[in-house]
Amino acid sequence: MTFYHTRVLEIAKAVYPNDDLCRRVIRSKHFIDHHFAHSINLHQMAGNAFLSKYHYIRVFKSMYGRTPHRYLIEVRIAGAKKLLQSGMPVTQACFSVGFGSVTSFTALFKKITGVTPQTCRRKALQEKQF
Amino acid sequence: MTIKLTSVLVDNQDKALAFYTNVLGFVKKTEVPLGEHRWLTVVSPEERDGVELVLEPMGFAPAKVYQQALYEAGIPLTAFHVSDVQQEYERLLALGVQFSLKPTKMGPATLAVLDDTCGNNIQLVQV
Repeated sequence: MTFYHTRVLEIAKAVYPNDDLCRRVIRSKHFIDHHFAHSINLHQMAGNAFLSKYHYIRVFKSMYGRTPHRYLIEVRIAGAKKLLQSGMPVTQACFSVGFGSVTSFTALFKKITGVTPQTCRRKALQEKQF
Repeated sequence: MTIKLTSVLVDNQDKALAFYTNVLGFVKKTEVPLGEHRWLTVVSPEERDGVELVLEPMGFAPAKVYQQALYEAGIPLTAFHVSDVQQEYERLLALGVQFSLKPTKMGPATLAVLDDTCGNNIQLVQV
């Protein structure tokens, strides 16, 4: 066994001792990955992990470095980016990935990607012309 | 200022290009002759305008010492993200790739470490 392999096993045991808990939170993450375009809420996400909402948020953040809500936003923005790059209009992309407001979608998109949805779409269409 | 490049140290650029394209599945992006070596980069076919991986020759002797130390300890020089480590592991095994770490869970992540035949361990990560 290599030095690295030994360290991976040590870290896994020390930082993630509860395998069942990990599995449940991973399952809830998959739920977000597959249902992000729908109107899902914290109760449903935590329910997939069989945890109380507050415990779920703490454990999710300790495993993924962000809250479940933040992760949901990021997955939606990533989905929207693909749609915009395929040429879909901004409003349609916004609602297609589960956002309820174009204004908040635009602000979040800019915050996460660094550009507005309109700029993202325009750049992709311009590149396709070449 | 943007981050557009990352690199792996390689002992042979031709061998590295063959491995990183024919085996791992990256595609060549840029190749520019620079005397004895080349500026040689590959990208993921899933992100052709994304970060470029420089296949960097080790013209500086201390780099070889560093690479060898990491390699002998099983420490990956870098890591690539995959959607399914187990699937990728089986695909690469069938192509003759050697692994020092089989798919192993570490909390939310699954890791595996392969030998890139150019002096490096490379980690595959699924989160």
